[in-house]
Amino acid sequence: MQPAAEDGGPTAMRGADLSTTAHNASAARGHEADLADVERVLAGDVNAFGGIVRRWQGPLVNMAWRYCRDRGRAEEMAQEALVRAWRGMSQWRREGSFSTWLFALAANVFRSELKRFPTLDVRIEDVPEPARAAMQESDLATRQTIDVVRRAVLTLPQRYREPVVLFYFHEMDVGAAARTMGMPEGTVKARLARARALLKKRFPHLEDEKAAMELAEKEA
Amino acid sequence: MDSTSKTNNLDQILAAEEELAPSSGFVASVMERVREEAAAPEPIPFPWKRVVPGVVLALGGVVWLGVEGARQGLARLPELDAASALRLVPLQMSGTLEDAGWVAAALGVSLLSWLLARRMIGRSGLL
Repeated sequence: MQPAAEDGGPTAMRGADLSTTAHNASAARGHEADLADVERVLAGDVNAFGGIVRRWQGPLVNMAWRYCRDRGRAEEMAQEALVRAWRGMSQWRREGSFSTWLFALAANVFRSELKRFPTLDVRIEDVPEPARAAMQESDLATRQTIDVVRRAVLTLPQRYREPVVLFYFHEMDVGAAARTMGMPEGTVKARLARARALLKKRFPHLEDEKAAMELAEKEA
Repeated sequence: MDSTSKTNNLDQILAAEEELAPSSGFVASVMERVREEAAAPEPIPFPWKRVVPGVVLALGGVVWLGVEGARQGLARLPELDAASALRLVPLQMSGTLEDAGWVAAALGVSLLSWLLARRMIGRSGLL
């Protein structure tokens, strides 16, 4: 997930149609802007933090949303993560990118927030199996199926839930998910496989390729 | 593409997540919190430099008292049986000039500690 452009336009929302070169150039510009803003913040310029907030508000709110599926709470958690980032700015070692550090910090904040006040207290076995996509007659039913599957992720045990959330947040990049969690890639892969197995056991019809295509087409 | 990134139906559903735009006041509310924190006075650091010598001194005193007490107790142990030990208690309580000196020294140390503590608190602006 890339930061929003400096003019406020979220690059993440138009990322799919960018060429790789343009994408890399945008990321490099974002990194330079982060570095410059961090230097100014550390020199005592509080307002420079505004640039960081504008660039990263979208990714952080979306990441928090995937952790809790509650818009208001997602904004609160993202705000807390940004305030903690401001407090601990001097702890960012320049070896890694600013985004890696920020996402890892945010994941810690979200994890501890959700430990204090869990979102759902439902077991995965209690999530209702949606009707088969082929039998659905309306877009609303399709949306409900998709929503049920996404919410089912929140019912997974915490050790499996977070890899799933971060894997899809990072556009299916295992390495990025592993860096955010501060774990080896192998561990993340193993947990992802286990999470998938749990979800597929609960929603067996999602293995059906035809149903998959229909769902994807309706979603599009 | 490895086994974890093979696309299937679950991938399609979970990856095709719509983007959520933060509310318009989000940046302002974050910056408000940051400015509040920036404007707040620095927390008073604990005065370790001043406290450590005192703690070391006090610990040294306690250890010395313990060692000295044990040494004297062991030295007197052969002379005492249970009955004479009980008789010694009132004798020790009666006090001698030497004992009075120790009491005065202890009071002096207490007074010194109290004055030092007041001075430290006064410098930190709490009084």
